[in-house]
Amino acid sequence: MKSYPHTKRNWKHKGSNMPISTIGQNGLNAPLSLTSPALGTPSSLVLTNATGLPQAGLGTNVVGNGPAFSAYSNANQSITAATATKVSLQLEVFDTNSNFASSRFTPTVAGYYQVNAAIYFAGSTIQYGLARIYKNGSVYQSGQFFYVAAGTSDTMANVSSIVSLNGSTDYIELYGNQSGGTSTIMVAGSSQTYFNACLIRSA
Amino acid sequence: MTLYEKIMALYPSLTNKDFMGINSTIELQNDSDGKGDYIAKWEHPTLARPTEEQLA
Repeated sequence: MKSYPHTKRNWKHKGSNMPISTIGQNGLNAPLSLTSPALGTPSSLVLTNATGLPQAGLGTNVVGNGPAFSAYSNANQSITAATATKVSLQLEVFDTNSNFASSRFTPTVAGYYQVNAAIYFAGSTIQYGLARIYKNGSVYQSGQFFYVAAGTSDTMANVSSIVSLNGSTDYIELYGNQSGGTSTIMVAGSSQTYFNACLIRSA
Repeated sequence: MTLYEKIMALYPSLTNKDFMGINSTIELQNDSDGKGDYIAKWEHPTLARPTEEQLA
C-alpha cells in the first residue's frame, strides 16, 4: 500500500509525541472551534467564541479589530482669539464601534490609541494657532503653527499622540486656539479640519 | 465684545503668552455647546480673576 506520510492522520499520529495541552472553558462560550494549520506551516490554534477573542486576549504583535474612527467638519467655524474652542466634527468617514458622537470619542475598549488631528485656520491677522487633544475636558497635548509676523495666508496646525483610554469613561476631543485674529475660522473639509484615532495596543 | 476683549480691556498688560503660552496662566474656553466663552482657568500670579460684574 502506498504511504502518504503527510496526511492529516499521520500528522496527528506524529503529534502524539508532543506535549499534551488542555483547553479549559474559562473565558470561552460555546461553540469552541479549532483550526488546524496547513501542512508544512507552523502550527497555530484559533479559538473563537460568540463575540470573538477579547482585545486583551490577542498575542504580541497581533493587529486586532478595536475601535477606530475618522471624522471631519463640514462647516466653517468661527473661533475667538485666545479662546480654546471645541471643534465641531459633523461628518464621519468611519466609526467602527459607534464610539464617536457629538464630536467626542469615548471608546468602549480599554487601551492605547493613536490619535491624529489637524485644524486649518484662515484669517489675515492670526499669528499662531493651536490644535489640541483634550482628554476628559483638559489639555492633553498640543501642536501649533507659528508666524513671526502677522500671517497673510491660511495654514494648518497638526497634533498627534498616543493616548491611554480606559474603555468606559475616558474620552477625547479636539480643540483649536488662535492668537489675535478677529475673523478667524476653522475651515471645513475632510483634508482641512479632521480628527481620527485607532486602538493600537490593548490595555 | 468677546470675553477675551473684555479681559484685555480690564488688564491691557496681558499678552497672548498669558493665554496660549506653554505655561499660560489663563485659559478661556468654548465647548461649542451654545453656552459661549468662559474662564476655564485663572492662575495669574498678580492679576485677580475678573468678577461677573466686571465682565458684564
